[in-house]
Amino acid sequence: MSVSFSLNGDSVVVEAEPRELFADVLRDRLGMTGTHVACEQGACGTCTVLVDGQAVRSCLLFAPQLEGCTVTSIEGVGSPGSLHPIQAALSEHHGLQCGFCTPGVVLTAIELLETEPDPDRETIERWMSGNLCRCTGYTGIVDAIAAVAAQRSAQ
Amino acid sequence: MSVTTSEPTTGTTTGTRRKEDLRFLTGQGAYLGDYAPADLLHIAVLRSTQAHALLRNIDATSAIALPGVVAVFTGAELAESAGKFQHHLAAIPTLRQIEWDVLAIEKVKYVGEPIAAVVAESRYVAEDALDLIEVDYDELPAVVDVEAALAPGAPLLYEDWTDNLLLQMPGAHGDVDAAFSEADGVIRARFHNHRISGMPLEGHGAVAEFDASTGRLVLRASTQAPHMLRGTIAQITGLSEAQIQVIAPDTGGGFGVKNHAMREEALAAVIAMRVPHPVVWEQDRVEHLTAGIQSREQIHDAELAYRSDGRVLGLRARITADIGSPELYIIGAAPAVVTTGVMPNTYDIPNYGFELNCVVTNKCPIGGYRGYGQPQAIFTIERLMDMLAAELEMDPAEIRKLNNVADDAMPYTTATGANLDTGSFNQQLDHLLEAIDYSTLREQVEAERASGALVGLGIAQMVEPTAPNMHALAGQFGCYEMALFTVHPDGHVSLSVGTKSQGQGHETIYAKLAAEVLTIPIEHVEVYDGDTNLVPFGGGTSGSRSAVMGGGVVLKAARQARAKMIEIAAAMLGVSGEDIELRDGMFFAGEAVLPLAAVAGAAYLHTFLLPPGMDPGISMVVAYDPGNTSPFPDETGKLDVAATYATAAAAAVVSINPNTGVVTVRDLTLVHDCGNIIDETILNGQIQGAIAQAIGATFYEEIHYSDEGQPLTTTLLDYMIPACGDFPEPRLIHRETPSELIGGFRGAGEGAIIVTPPALANAVADALGHLDNAAVTQTNLGPRHIREILRANGVALDPLAGRSA
Amino acid sequence: MKPSSFEYVLARSVTEATDALSAAEEATVLAGGQSLVPLMNLRLARPDVIVDINAISDLARVEQVNGSVRLGALCRQRTLETDPDVRRVAPLLAEAASLIGHVQIRNRGTLGGSLAHADPVSELPTAVLALDGEIELTSGDGSRRIGARDLAVGALMTTIKPGELLTGVVVSAHRPGDGVSFVEFARRHGDFALVGIAAVLHRDEAGICTSARLAGAGLAGTPTDLTPSIEAIVGADVLSDDLLRTISDGVAASVDPWSDIHGSSEYRRELAQVLVVEAIRSAWARTEEQP
Repeated sequence: MSVSFSLNGDSVVVEAEPRELFADVLRDRLGMTGTHVACEQGACGTCTVLVDGQAVRSCLLFAPQLEGCTVTSIEGVGSPGSLHPIQAALSEHHGLQCGFCTPGVVLTAIELLETEPDPDRETIERWMSGNLCRCTGYTGIVDAIAAVAAQRSAQ
Repeated sequence: MSVTTSEPTTGTTTGTRRKEDLRFLTGQGAYLGDYAPADLLHIAVLRSTQAHALLRNIDATSAIALPGVVAVFTGAELAESAGKFQHHLAAIPTLRQIEWDVLAIEKVKYVGEPIAAVVAESRYVAEDALDLIEVDYDELPAVVDVEAALAPGAPLLYEDWTDNLLLQMPGAHGDVDAAFSEADGVIRARFHNHRISGMPLEGHGAVAEFDASTGRLVLRASTQAPHMLRGTIAQITGLSEAQIQVIAPDTGGGFGVKNHAMREEALAAVIAMRVPHPVVWEQDRVEHLTAGIQSREQIHDAELAYRSDGRVLGLRARITADIGSPELYIIGAAPAVVTTGVMPNTYDIPNYGFELNCVVTNKCPIGGYRGYGQPQAIFTIERLMDMLAAELEMDPAEIRKLNNVADDAMPYTTATGANLDTGSFNQQLDHLLEAIDYSTLREQVEAERASGALVGLGIAQMVEPTAPNMHALAGQFGCYEMALFTVHPDGHVSLSVGTKSQGQGHETIYAKLAAEVLTIPIEHVEVYDGDTNLVPFGGGTSGSRSAVMGGGVVLKAARQARAKMIEIAAAMLGVSGEDIELRDGMFFAGEAVLPLAAVAGAAYLHTFLLPPGMDPGISMVVAYDPGNTSPFPDETGKLDVAATYATAAAAAVVSINPNTGVVTVRDLTLVHDCGNIIDETILNGQIQGAIAQAIGATFYEEIHYSDEGQPLTTTLLDYMIPACGDFPEPRLIHRETPSELIGGFRGAGEGAIIVTPPALANAVADALGHLDNAAVTQTNLGPRHIREILRANGVALDPLAGRSA
Repeated sequence: MKPSSFEYVLARSVTEATDALSAAEEATVLAGGQSLVPLMNLRLARPDVIVDINAISDLARVEQVNGSVRLGALCRQRTLETDPDVRRVAPLLAEAASLIGHVQIRNRGTLGGSLAHADPVSELPTAVLALDGEIELTSGDGSRRIGARDLAVGALMTTIKPGELLTGVVVSAHRPGDGVSFVEFARRHGDFALVGIAAVLHRDEAGICTSARLAGAGLAGTPTDLTPSIEAIVGADVLSDDLLRTISDGVAASVDPWSDIHGSSEYRRELAQVLVVEAIRSAWARTEEQP
């Protein structure tokens, strides 16, 4: 079947079977391999993307469900020449090592910062508890998000 | 040479702290599953549903007929031309020799063992085909723990063996019997190390492409050891190593789990040679948790002989390792061998005896995970020391200082032959005690306890052999690393190393080392790893070896390049080499200056400028072998396996809620000595990650099997790793005692996962110390286990007291 | 693992949905998908037909009628958690929803989906039971209502008939003097709970408790009505320790939870006792809050 949606500002049309997981549609049909798959149960957060502004698990959505939606994947956040503040902060605060969980972390953090105007560390930890990381021990991730939040508050 | 800095690593071309950050942050990382050549076909593996059975028949007729399916392979079909795996450890005479096939043929020994492979146009279709394959099993009774496996008349995994013992290895150093007969007392305990998994976020995977017109195979694999994998694939496929290129792309975590040659990686290679398509196998999470690689499961029956003043006279341990199915390279007995080697820890215990029994059971194979057998040993000895302290009513810190190898005894050869040349154990311990204000903290904890709270303070210390000689564990390889170092005509550098980063930031730290030697900006150095075509051989990344061996060879190579360029500069300037100074990327001789690029350019583009007799180019393959390790034990069983040693000490404060058993870690402080520090931020990240894994191993992670050998831990909601907010930020204090090796590094990846669990367990034991029957002798201290201990001690539930710690 | 194939039907109305559900034997409703798709990704669920109801926007309405609140089945858990109206009129559902998984799950997961899935440890079915709510089921023959207690009959098993769609939940609206609380024990934030407890109390202007209900998740195959154990609180104007102990002991005696790799029966029973006290204390205190 044919599915049309907006991806990172562009209109796309893909052919996919109804059962294809949206994460696989992104990766295999559209070549957008920045979205990673690590559990297919919605338990780890690695595959998180934004659909209509909300962070969701792309491994728990079927292809047809994206019809007419507006999707942001990691490829639509910043660019090598111009990083989003969250991306820059994650690097600055060493909030990534192997990078596998990082796209999901970035997209979740985007919704976090759009929802919570002035999150304290506990709030950040609660929001990010749905993104598992095996490398960093999370300190750098929380530091990065707190730094971006503080910058926004200061503005 | 000291390279300590707390400055951010700026000036990378990427504009980010680490060179690798930019692509990871923008979703441009190239992981195994991201590589999708045209024509790619997908492999799905049919796995045994039985823990122990004879494989009578596999009927794939319906599967092959499914549209989109290209082929189905069974073990029997592949065995016609595929070689067998072996563990290569002929040097351990009491280790049974085994061989195994890419796919099981006659018998399955664990649920999840690979028995057939479907090749199809998508993973979806391939899995549809798996559903259509019919397998006839003749079920056999399964043994799921060591007791059952060792019972007389137990079902045998290998019918031609007399029992289920893969390895029985005794060791005796010093005079253990005398020590125990002279002792004033003996502490005895049985310690259980539970089964867990290293669980990198990205599973294993392989993409194989074979070009029949050239006879060459390219195998991409999510691996920590590309050259080791290449050698194995050569043996299995019959191709030569010159015909095989192994590429390890960006890797989403490894932690030792990916330091093996997987059957499925060989499967992809073998299938690629049979179907004219590239083929991919991506391990999904269920496969990873149930049919991947697990670790740690051991039982220690340990005894500590002591004198009444607290001096330890002798140590004995019977180590029973449940290694599951042994069919894995590097074999699961290897970490258990390491366990035997390190148990005396930082202490002066010349009288040490052990007996290692590696038992095979009908479970997933045991393999490596960060720490590699050391966590189990250090858990036992550090718990024993605390038990001794409690028995003699001595302070746990005092008893450690009494027994630590003294400063004036360094360098010290341990009972098992390790040649310790570290910084002072007692100074490290004192540093920790000072940092936490130990005596005040003890008083505070005791005051809280007096008011009824379950609070405890625990300490632990460790010395860790790093950069080991892998021959002792893998039956081949050594203790060395290689690099291909090239200064290009424009003065920029490419260097390829035989290690393999899975997130440790090698692209950044190796670039930094090279840049400092050549006095050029870090952005002028490009680092490559994970490609067997780019460096003749390498040891991969494991055993905390990368800074030591990789850093060492990078420095060695960079210095060679610098030396050659100095000679060239001298010739160009008409001076002697001694008159040349390299500074800020320029060669100075008095007033005369030559930019590095000019010298590099001369080496390739204006070779008439070179000194007579000098070969053009500035490019070298360099190997670094410190030459201080042994590949085999000597005739007394002693083995000096490590190039150097790292040390650490940890202190933990915990509170326990008596109603729920939840242990809250209130404070965690580590003093860590990995020699010269290359990048403190990256180092802290490594330690924090290892601590998170230590917290997970102690309070969250458990692998379970049913009595019939069915895996019960199948998703990430069963296998729980710590999430954000589950533990406090640790305090990290660095000491730098340079090693004798190039660069003065000691290795940093594993120390925290070795020393933190016993510190936590000692704190829990301290909190429960007032109970009669609260021996903390297991690594698994999750809430329901603590609650069981409390219940067994008559600590009744008090629902009105609530759940805050 | 990848899911098996299915025929996909996008329903644009309740009638289209029930028609599609009636037409196929193995048809399953797709709402949030946060419980269904994980099962399908293990091939433990293999429906032949998936009926996607996410386009039936009518099903997401929240309406207040005569002291009751009717919440449409498609209300997202995130809406329950954050919508000011829901938090005011159905605070127990808001609190229960806030404990479900993580934000990414709640952004998609629905009230109706959670109830229809009937996982014994899930929060919303237990909260609805504590509120003595009603479940609205619609088929080609019309709508019917059943009591919350009559929905689940076992783990992952409900009395929803083939061809029927769970379309709404009706509970009493929160009034002054009501105090509600949902608490649970989960190993990490967002994990499936081992045990969850919902308490619903009402105290009159004199501070006397005039009604009380109690329900538990994770104590049996279906949400457990623990109200008989809390009856002793009716008539009390003070929440004494003795009273709490009596209630907690009563709950312990009345449940026989299962054992699995996450906890033994005894551990679950102990958690229930601790959580019951916590929930009642919290609900009691909240009876004094102004709406």
